Amino acid sequence: MDFCELTTEPIDITSVARRVVPPECGATVTLDGYVRKFTRERETLYLIYESYDEMALKEMQKLIDDAHSKFEISNVGIVHRTGRLEIAETSVVISVAAPHRKAAFEACEWLIAELKRTVPIWKKEVYAGGEEWVDQENS
Amino acid sequence: MPVRVLFFGAIADIVGKRELETGSASSSQLLETLTQEYTPLASHKLLVAVNQEYINGDVAINNGDEVAIFTPVSGG
Repeated sequence: MDFCELTTEPIDITSVARRVVPPECGATVTLDGYVRKFTRERETLYLIYESYDEMALKEMQKLIDDAHSKFEISNVGIVHRTGRLEIAETSVVISVAAPHRKAAFEACEWLIAELKRTVPIWKKEVYAGGEEWVDQENS
Repeated sequence: MPVRVLFFGAIADIVGKRELETGSASSSQLLETLTQEYTPLASHKLLVAVNQEYINGDVAINNGDEVAIFTPVSGG
């Protein structure tokens, strides 16, 4: 079963990864994207993620549909967290199950790259002495 | 029914609210009107979605539509 979700709660990575597993598959590739402490030598204190929820879910579903037509995969799960996230907390999990691992790796990479380009979610970086919304180009 | 205009991220900060209501117009007219009222918008690349779909170029916005204006996304 495919799924895409937004949550303000901590994401349980293992449960996302296990939910995509069907009997015909042999491998699941899971991306755990989390908050980095340093961006270009500036220390981040925490991040605030904001989402246009309804459109974000639609765009995530489109990505899942497109991934199915591009790659030999069985199931995809995407969960993105919003709200305040501390350093090292998981912001996004993408799990792709496939009969063979190569397609799962390729699809997972494609999905995160497209998610960062198309899904309407934004992050504000809060650092010592200020805060700013992150530009697409330096995220 | 009016047009609902939603703002997110940096754009919501500039406009000072997350939502307003307006009348039907073209998307480029709407952007022009908003940029005149909130001049810092001019320094941002603005993306527009109508009824939760990205638009390309100028489109008609009709009563009852939901328009969203935001900067390039930065999730992940």
